[in-house]
Amino acid sequence: MPDSEKSVKQDPIIQLIVFRLGEEEYGIRIEQVKEVTITPEIARMPKTPPFVKGIANLRGDIIAIIDLEERFRLRTAGQEMPAVSYTMAIEAKEYTIGIMVREVPQPLSIQQSIIEKAPEFIQDINIHDKYIEGIAKIEDRIVVVLDMLKLLTPSEIMQLQPKTESSGSGSRTKA
Amino acid sequence: MKSREQEYREMFMAEALEYYDAMSRHISELERNPTDEPALNELFRFMHNLKSNSRAMGYNAIGELAHHMETIFGLIRSKEKSFTGSVVPVLFTGIDTIGEMIRAVGANEDLPEVGRLMDNLDRLVRGEEPVLEQEEEDDEDANRKLELSDLVYIQIRKLDHLMNLVGELIIDRDRVLTLSQEIGNPALVAAATHLSRIADELQYSVMDARLVGVGSLFSKFPRVVRDVAAAEKKDVELTMTGEDIQIDRNILQIITDSLLHLVRNAIGHGLETPAEREAAGKPAQSHLTLSAQTERDDVLIQVQDDGRGINVESVRRKAVERGLVAANVAATLDDDAVRAFLFEPGFSMAKEVTEISGRGVGLDVVKLAIDSLGGQLRVESVLGQGTTFTLVLPTSIAVKGALLFQLDQRNYAIPLMHTDSVVSLMPDNFNVVGGVLITRVQEENVPVVSLRKLLHNGDGPLPPAVKADVQGRQDIIIVKYNNRRLGLVVDRFLRQQDIVVKPMSKPLDTIDLFGGVTLLGSGQVCLVLDVPALTRLFLAKRP
Repeated sequence: MPDSEKSVKQDPIIQLIVFRLGEEEYGIRIEQVKEVTITPEIARMPKTPPFVKGIANLRGDIIAIIDLEERFRLRTAGQEMPAVSYTMAIEAKEYTIGIMVREVPQPLSIQQSIIEKAPEFIQDINIHDKYIEGIAKIEDRIVVVLDMLKLLTPSEIMQLQPKTESSGSGSRTKA
Repeated sequence: MKSREQEYREMFMAEALEYYDAMSRHISELERNPTDEPALNELFRFMHNLKSNSRAMGYNAIGELAHHMETIFGLIRSKEKSFTGSVVPVLFTGIDTIGEMIRAVGANEDLPEVGRLMDNLDRLVRGEEPVLEQEEEDDEDANRKLELSDLVYIQIRKLDHLMNLVGELIIDRDRVLTLSQEIGNPALVAAATHLSRIADELQYSVMDARLVGVGSLFSKFPRVVRDVAAAEKKDVELTMTGEDIQIDRNILQIITDSLLHLVRNAIGHGLETPAEREAAGKPAQSHLTLSAQTERDDVLIQVQDDGRGINVESVRRKAVERGLVAANVAATLDDDAVRAFLFEPGFSMAKEVTEISGRGVGLDVVKLAIDSLGGQLRVESVLGQGTTFTLVLPTSIAVKGALLFQLDQRNYAIPLMHTDSVVSLMPDNFNVVGGVLITRVQEENVPVVSLRKLLHNGDGPLPPAVKADVQGRQDIIIVKYNNRRLGLVVDRFLRQQDIVVKPMSKPLDTIDLFGGVTLLGSGQVCLVLDVPALTRLFLAKRP
């Protein structure tokens, strides 16, 4: 989708929500962000990958909260999540999911054309480049623009094997 | 309380009037464009439905007319006739007459005379010209009445939405009640109590609006039984009771396939042929009973046959063959425990695959459907005398009784439907057998596992239990699923409470250990454990 838009339209201004993970700045298109709040109380959920922090009650919606610093191993040692963190509620295809960040995310308007395709070095920091829409250079800042819809597919989040191991029936031999 | 007949008649009326309105609309479309195929298909379909419904309700005159009309629409559809010339006024008259007849049924009046119309329809079928009388139609047009039905059809989706909103309201109600008690302002407490009462009433009204009679599902079975019995060459008499019992429409929807499966199974495998029955000294005609009854807050639906019954020994043998249980263990299991194997995936007792049942999908599918509702499936059987399957179902999906407990400072809920008992035991009540902690509850050995270890132990098998693990008093919830009891050690019991279970949101819904979540009055999120999945997890991971 973004690719085809790029070729058709002249040079639209796009709005990003920019947040920090580890030392870098990342951006998401604003239309993918439903809201930003102080992280609500999270109930830990057994049998999920460690970066899935649990579930929380966001205005009556129960959503999963994930920690991308942990997911992509971007956390520098000794930099634990602060006691008060922020959660961006992102609308993925079929559900809403919360992404925990350490600082208040900020809006930023840029021209679409300054988003460049991701260079290869990105892959060194564990983020598979298919999630990356591109990289925006704004003066001396570099913002990695993520494609949340690709990042937040159920199989990505759950790091799923086809069937969860909790069903004993699956392991039984069938005649 | 209305009688069932009256309720059925109202439903028939509402549906028939709706058909009539739709048919009037479609036939006008057809007049404008005589080759309008969608309109023609709809007309054919509505006529067909009206015919079946009328006959089912005993309004044979309407059924007969609809049947004749359907025939002609069928001919037009297959291009043997066209919607032109004298066909048009006859069909218009036909639909108007159907409208009159439906209204006459509603008003408890005599049905109008349809002899001439039927003659005309017959003539059309034979390819002859109908006898038309112009003035009568004008007369009819002048008398035409516009009517609105007393019943409202509502999409179940809208009711679902309403139910969800009420669920949210109940959660907020609990929250407001808790807060008002904490704050202690008398005016606030009074307002919160009033709010609470209204919210309760609203909840029951919405739940009530979703209730339908079990009969609406049962009524499909006489035909199913007839067809299956004919195909299987069995002589079956079907008895149905408790059609008035009310249950949530979505629950009925979910168990439809299960009930169909059980009935087919009963006829295909449970019941014998007349010759076999006579040889066994039983009456040649076999009996199948579908019954519904309420038991406390639950609805029990039973499928009972007087057939050959389940041979526990052959189930035992088969379970060993399939590797479900070791031979020496199998020998010690009681009959109930053996019959529980019937619900294991892929376990079919059918010796041959028949046309009707035994295609490899077995009772496990039924079991899973019932589990998904938080219900139970039981089987009782006496060899040579018959088998009874009992579905224990909640009346409503939304509200469940649950036991709340704490583990690692977190609140969890476990549905009461699967809770057997709650015990607090000292360490000397436990033994270790084969790496599994065992205790005696009500004269029975029950395996006990720390819920913490079961949930947080990663993917490997559980480490063998040792007696030293058990320190101090142990709070244990005994859960029961598929005749197996399992004790779960938790940190602290909290209380029993009615909860509104919200389904687990995506993408976490793939974790089957949790049946959903609920919000407590404090606003805290509380995970609702799924006992069937928990039991399977324990079986898969026990040391």
